[in-house]
Amino acid sequence: MDPLSLSSRIAASGLHAQETRLRIVSENLANAQSTGDTPGADPYRRKTVSFASYLDNATGASRVKVQRLGFDNSDFVVNFDPSHPAADEKGMVKMPNVNPLIELADMRETNRSYEANLQTIKQTRELVTLTLGLLRNN
Amino acid sequence: MQPIQLFKLASQQAEWLTVRHTVVAGNIANVNTPGYAAKDVEPFQAVMESTRTKMAATHSRHFSDANLRDSIRSNEINGIAVHPSGNTVNLANEVSKGSGIKREYEINTSIVKTVNRMMLATVRK
Repeated sequence: MDPLSLSSRIAASGLHAQETRLRIVSENLANAQSTGDTPGADPYRRKTVSFASYLDNATGASRVKVQRLGFDNSDFVVNFDPSHPAADEKGMVKMPNVNPLIELADMRETNRSYEANLQTIKQTRELVTLTLGLLRNN
Repeated sequence: MQPIQLFKLASQQAEWLTVRHTVVAGNIANVNTPGYAAKDVEPFQAVMESTRTKMAATHSRHFSDANLRDSIRSNEINGIAVHPSGNTVNLANEVSKGSGIKREYEINTSIVKTVNRMMLATVRK
């Protein structure tokens, strides 16, 4: 495979990885207030995503893929709210361990990386156009 | 009559530039991968010189893709350029490298176009 089409495939793998990351960020943000519905039940647990570089042996290119989706095992935030259906006998409710600020920062970083990958694809197309320009009669 | 070497040289440089572009694309795609070390290819001159000696020795193996891929190195940077996750990709650096590649490629293709036009002008008259 020629290096230029390989470039755009690598960038596409980057786009895909960042898309998955954005999906996880939005899941976390959407569930930032999702508690359990029985007394003492666990609320939503924050999800994490981790990337890995994977070497394509046939071409020697380093693509990126989502290695695994994991869970953030940090402690839940506990609030006092006796009227809540998920409150335990002391009136404490476990809230999800999602910090919206961290999620927003993550979202911005995802945005930047996505833009950089898009730029790569655009640049690849320009290089191909330049090569094809040689074939045009002038 | 001497053969015209320019087209060969130009296509070799174009090939080097495209391989370098692939490496830059890989770096950008892995900008958030933990433990990834940024890569780059050897300068064109170094690749040219090593291939020339190889060609003189074997005559069968010409400047190929495999030669270029062998020249991909990952440069370990120490100090503040390393992210806490062990990633050494500097996004700004990679983007500017990418546009540098585009500029050089543009020069390369315009030279080829111009020489081709010159040759056609000689043949037509």
